[in-house]
Amino acid sequence: MSELEYDPNLHTAELDAREDHAPGDEPEESAGHWVRNSNLGLGFSIVLTLAAFLAVGSHLIWGPAVGVALIVLAIGQMGVHLVFFLHVTTGPDNTNNVLALAFGILVVFLIVAGSIWIMGHLSHNMMPMDRLMQMQP
Amino acid sequence: MFGKLSWSAIPLDQPIPLITSVVLILTILGVLGLVTAKGWWPYLWREWITSVDHKRIGIMYCLLGSVMLIRGFADAIMMRSQQALAINAPGYLPPEHYNQIFSAHGTIMIFFAAMPLVIGLMNFVTPLQLGVRDVAFPTLNSVSFWLTASGALLVNVSLFIGEFARTGWLPYPPLSEATYSPGVGVDYYLWAVQISGVGTLMTGINFVTTVLKMRCPGMTYLRMPMFCWTVLAASLLIVAVFPILTATLAMLSLDRYFGFHYFTNTAGGNPMMFVNLIWAWGHPEVYILVLPAFGIFSEIFSTFSGKPLFGYRSMVAATLFICIVAMMVWLHHFFTMGAGAAVNTAFGISTSIIAVGTGVKIYNWIFTMYGGRVRFSVPMLWSLGFIFTFVIGGMTGVLLAVPPADFLVHNSMFLVAHFHNVIVGGVVFGLFAGIDYWFPKAFGFRLHEGWGKAAFWFALVGFWVTFAPLYILGLQGMTRRLQHVNIEEWRPLLDLSLVGVGILIVGAVCQVVMLVVSILRRDELRDVTGDPWDGRSLEWATPSPAPFFNFAVMPNVQGEEAYWDIKLRAVESQQLSPEPRYEPIEMPVNSPVGFYTAFFATVTGFALIWQIWWLAGLGLAAAFAGFVVFAWRDVHEFHVPAEEVARVDRARRSAREALLERLGQQGAAT
Repeated sequence: MSELEYDPNLHTAELDAREDHAPGDEPEESAGHWVRNSNLGLGFSIVLTLAAFLAVGSHLIWGPAVGVALIVLAIGQMGVHLVFFLHVTTGPDNTNNVLALAFGILVVFLIVAGSIWIMGHLSHNMMPMDRLMQMQP
Repeated sequence: MFGKLSWSAIPLDQPIPLITSVVLILTILGVLGLVTAKGWWPYLWREWITSVDHKRIGIMYCLLGSVMLIRGFADAIMMRSQQALAINAPGYLPPEHYNQIFSAHGTIMIFFAAMPLVIGLMNFVTPLQLGVRDVAFPTLNSVSFWLTASGALLVNVSLFIGEFARTGWLPYPPLSEATYSPGVGVDYYLWAVQISGVGTLMTGINFVTTVLKMRCPGMTYLRMPMFCWTVLAASLLIVAVFPILTATLAMLSLDRYFGFHYFTNTAGGNPMMFVNLIWAWGHPEVYILVLPAFGIFSEIFSTFSGKPLFGYRSMVAATLFICIVAMMVWLHHFFTMGAGAAVNTAFGISTSIIAVGTGVKIYNWIFTMYGGRVRFSVPMLWSLGFIFTFVIGGMTGVLLAVPPADFLVHNSMFLVAHFHNVIVGGVVFGLFAGIDYWFPKAFGFRLHEGWGKAAFWFALVGFWVTFAPLYILGLQGMTRRLQHVNIEEWRPLLDLSLVGVGILIVGAVCQVVMLVVSILRRDELRDVTGDPWDGRSLEWATPSPAPFFNFAVMPNVQGEEAYWDIKLRAVESQQLSPEPRYEPIEMPVNSPVGFYTAFFATVTGFALIWQIWWLAGLGLAAAFAGFVVFAWRDVHEFHVPAEEVARVDRARRSAREALLERLGQQGAAT
């Protein structure tokens, strides 16, 4: 009925760094680490952005391959954002974040691949509207 | 200066909306006047409007949802009576008004009645069941609620100023494009849904975080009550699909406001893409509504059968299965658009497969009752009515999942009957069951049993008398959304359906009477124990109504059915556990930021609808300023002193001791 009480064995005074934490209860991160981490991320993302402009603007990369290079740089950019800004790491406190990321990728895959598949079939079967309009007398 | 807004926006030539809005405005002014005269504003402001308490926010959500449920029901009454009267006759609603009514009915029922009620119960129950003191982001929660209210307000403003969409509850282009819908109706729809959609998305984020990260000690995932699992699944779906809705409606807005060509049928636009995207949101949306309802039924079947939920783990698996597969079935809403056999077959099969998850749940509920000591209280009646109604709705759904069959009855009254069958039978019955079940926890007294039973029977019978004829009419070829009918043979069934609406009205009146009678007789319906239904999960360990900090000390869960174990042990040993050491509690402080933001969101939405650009800019800037001020606030929490915690908890313990004594005597007697 009323054994709603504190179990001293369950909660020690110190927060275990490996435990999953509620928002606001995370263990303190040292300011130096935080600044270094953010600056590294900023640096990487600037380098990747400049590299994308460089790939398009110069002739360093063989013309037809520019698109592929941009895709690679974009994926790298996403990785930098995930690791340095959204703090998705392989640490033990990150199970939820990684699962959320996997779920997000699954959803995006389903929606994008499904839409491409559906719209491809629709465009094939149904005359696109503008062509239909042109055929009207 | 005022964009498209002028005096001609007020429908002086249309008596029905004019009279309705005048009555509404007078009612609102009357309520505001009463509140002012009685001096209730400080109380309302302090305890409700700025409250970040999840229970208060949940109650406000339910209130909003109930009011809008009545509004949507009024639309339904008008549609059914128009169709019964307009057989080879004009009826009493002109076509452009009738089109607004069915659009408003769908929009209001899904976005502003069902969603607020579902989210309201999620808010109220989830932290209590998880054994925590609030949701992960309490102030964000308040912002979510007020944004939803803002959207609801905009929809209702359209009644008096301007018009509402005439495009159906999902504004399919090209009809919804500026060329064919030049008025402000679609704009009202767009901004009302966008603003409330932001609120819903934030609720989803809040509850994913709450369930994943805010459980009390010992509350592992597989010890969570079933309702919390369904809240998690529904919130995951919200986070996954509401951005699709926002993006799709944003693209339609760009088409309408700036002449873009996403969905136009000229200049390379493709209206079919809108249909594809909106249903990629729309199908998961129905599971967002029905999964929490499944959670409510799970709690009720187990409590009122006096047994643990049968097949708890299979129930969890079925919930997560539905959560994933819900995003693989959306094409079944447009089988007939012409994607062809391969695509239709794949989605037809996936749609049939998702019914397996629901089937698992139905069997689990039935087996939960098997061998149990079933008590037929009002929540249990709704749940039994749900099984009966929902199974039939599900079966017509599986029929519609077969593409060739769908070609025959798509866009017909059969479809209308089907989705009302699952949404009324599933979601609405679930919400009524949940409200009846958790009402004592919210207000400290039970709802009147007799009136509740009357409301249930009128709703159940009324539902079937209304919608069974629509199934038959659909099979006879009657399409949906008809403003008038010119086939005399359909008259008996349309009249019968109207009789069903009459029975539903009686049911609705019973609900209101139940509420009034319960409030008047609250002293004899008082729940002094905090556990009126012999419950099994942690919310029943708190007194009724629950104190604002929920739990004086954090519960320590040692098994499935957290509270049931504690109760059994206490009854066996005939004593409560020793009094714990009370410590001060930190609780989040109230914040007006939600109300403030929503106020300016309403202003911005209204300005965008009427294209008053300076006002839109002003509203956005003011809303943003609110966020900035909030972000710089210094005090986030206040302390509840240990003595106050102890005082509240000692009162709870003495009530528990009385209950324990009574249970002990019962045990001795049997």
